[in-house]
Amino acid sequence: MKPDSTWRAFITPFVLLTGPGTIFISITLLLPLLTIVMFSFWRTESYELYADWNLDNYRVLFGEAAYRTFLFRSVVSGALTSLICLVLAWPVAYYIARHGGRYRLLLVLLLAAPFFTGVILRIAALQGILGPGGLINMTLGLAGFAPVKLLMYTPFAATIGHIYLYIPFMVTAIYLSLVNFDFALLDTAKINGAGPFRAFAEVTWPLNWIGTSIGTVLVFIPCLASTITPRFLGGPNATSFGMSLSQQFGETGTWALGSAMSVVMFIFSFLVIAIMSFTIDLRRSGFTGVGK
Amino acid sequence: MSTHDDTVSLSLQDICKQFGPVKAVDGVNLDIRQDEFFALLGPSGSGKTTLLRIIAGLEHPTSGRVMVGGQDVTYMPPYHRRIGMVFQNFLLFPHKTVAENIVFPLRMQNIVKAQRDERLSWAIHLLRLEGLEARYPHELSGGQQQRVSLARGLISRPALLLLDEPLANLDRELRAEMEIEIRRYQKELKIPFIYVTHNQEEALTMSDRIAVMRNGVFEQVGHRTEVYQKPATAFVAGFVGQSNQMEGKVDKVNGSLLAFTWKGTKLVVPHAGDVKAGDPVRFMIKHEDVQVEIASRKAALPANHNRLPGKLRDIIFKGQTVNYLIDLEGGMEIVASGSPRDMKLTAGDLVFVFWPQEAGASFKL
Repeated sequence: MKPDSTWRAFITPFVLLTGPGTIFISITLLLPLLTIVMFSFWRTESYELYADWNLDNYRVLFGEAAYRTFLFRSVVSGALTSLICLVLAWPVAYYIARHGGRYRLLLVLLLAAPFFTGVILRIAALQGILGPGGLINMTLGLAGFAPVKLLMYTPFAATIGHIYLYIPFMVTAIYLSLVNFDFALLDTAKINGAGPFRAFAEVTWPLNWIGTSIGTVLVFIPCLASTITPRFLGGPNATSFGMSLSQQFGETGTWALGSAMSVVMFIFSFLVIAIMSFTIDLRRSGFTGVGK
Repeated sequence: MSTHDDTVSLSLQDICKQFGPVKAVDGVNLDIRQDEFFALLGPSGSGKTTLLRIIAGLEHPTSGRVMVGGQDVTYMPPYHRRIGMVFQNFLLFPHKTVAENIVFPLRMQNIVKAQRDERLSWAIHLLRLEGLEARYPHELSGGQQQRVSLARGLISRPALLLLDEPLANLDRELRAEMEIEIRRYQKELKIPFIYVTHNQEEALTMSDRIAVMRNGVFEQVGHRTEVYQKPATAFVAGFVGQSNQMEGKVDKVNGSLLAFTWKGTKLVVPHAGDVKAGDPVRFMIKHEDVQVEIASRKAALPANHNRLPGKLRDIIFKGQTVNYLIDLEGGMEIVASGSPRDMKLTAGDLVFVFWPQEAGASFKL
């Protein structure tokens, strides 16, 4: 073996292939993240950051009821949105994967159609449907009915907005899992005595759990950080952790507190991913060549 | 054959299955007895897998009835039929261990754990899977996976076991071993097996009766030796065993024999039924029914045989048998096979090929 063969076989390709991505991620993600962590232990006064290390920001965050409420509200809203998306997305993804035939790709691409416009535009459009002068309540009014208050600037309306925004991620993640699922296994389960429900619970669900959990994470995390949707649709009782966070960096200029909030949010996101990955047993996922 | 027990286990009555304009199965009638090993033999696209899926309940027939144990199950969903099935690509549940895969049918029947464990150890022992219980399917060899699949199919003692080309993905040696094994399980358990294959050797080795299927219909149903020795159609003659084919015209019908001209060579062959002088006919004779003798011993050839002079072009050694490729005088080729110990011939020898006039079969074209 030549002395430089390790370089040639492993290190050179590793550097060439992963180098650019690593540098990019380091500059755009890791550095800002470290900066944020650092700022969270600093102090802001009159829109200026001072580097005197302290834990005051965290004390405020966990001490003041408002912040706890915002965080709790965001976590619950994220969990609820994920759950509803899951229930709505599964049948759609299943239908496309199983019965979509040659239109499968087209149908999945159609799910991405809303992304052709910006988030603000889409949420504003939704406001035009759900709001007091919106399509639903105006029609009800013209017909002589009382407006549905639940739709006007409530956390419920914000949740509808979240579902609308993030369900394509869930459908796509589940769909991508299902297209790689061998539906003949379902036939096998049925021949071996499993009715439709048990066949689903024994075979389809566990073998598509990875895709489903990825979808859940992809919905939950942006919900947790959501700012615009609760602001446009949620009204006064829907102030979220993300909204409050963006205020710290904007109107109030309390960057240090905002940084501490970012750290908390990051930890929560990480926790969700950790919990989800604990539920995945690669040996029981149907993936081959792992866990030997 | 198992004629002593004529309890009919499965009965197919006039089964048709249409996919759009295609008739995949076209009027199939079949009774399968309780302890019978039955092979469905046919080329791909002949409808044999569709027929199997209809029996399993994965497809509904367009018309006709499926009876299992005297009960009409035509529209019963597969999970109520108590039928076992083994697939070509095994279709084990990749997220379950060997033991979990095998007991799956029992769990679906809500059988208590003590009884499940008892049946599991029976199946593990029967299929020699000891020590593999905790493995996952991807950690097994192809042969082991197929045995797990068989164990899963047999553990609940189904009314019927369907096997869809179960050995097609295994290598040759293992296949030969499994052919014997599978037949042994069937004889021990006395559960009817229906075995779909396109491999005639497999069908002949394993089964009691064979149905040869083509274009959705049965060309012939019969005991394996009958299908081999007395093919009902030219297709069966060509598909089962290795045959020489000769096409020509009938010169004269002579009782149970036909005088027949094949590319200028006169032969006497069995009657094809419903032919008269001038009709085109195909005569087929199995390689092993044709014998070879060195030309100098011409006088020793028996009477009432077709005799054709030729030159031995090549000898294909196949181990248990030898194939002689002979160029006949008219430029035709004929293949004869025999035991390698029979004769000491060498390529280039002048020879005679001969066979009894009653051997082989002819079919009207």
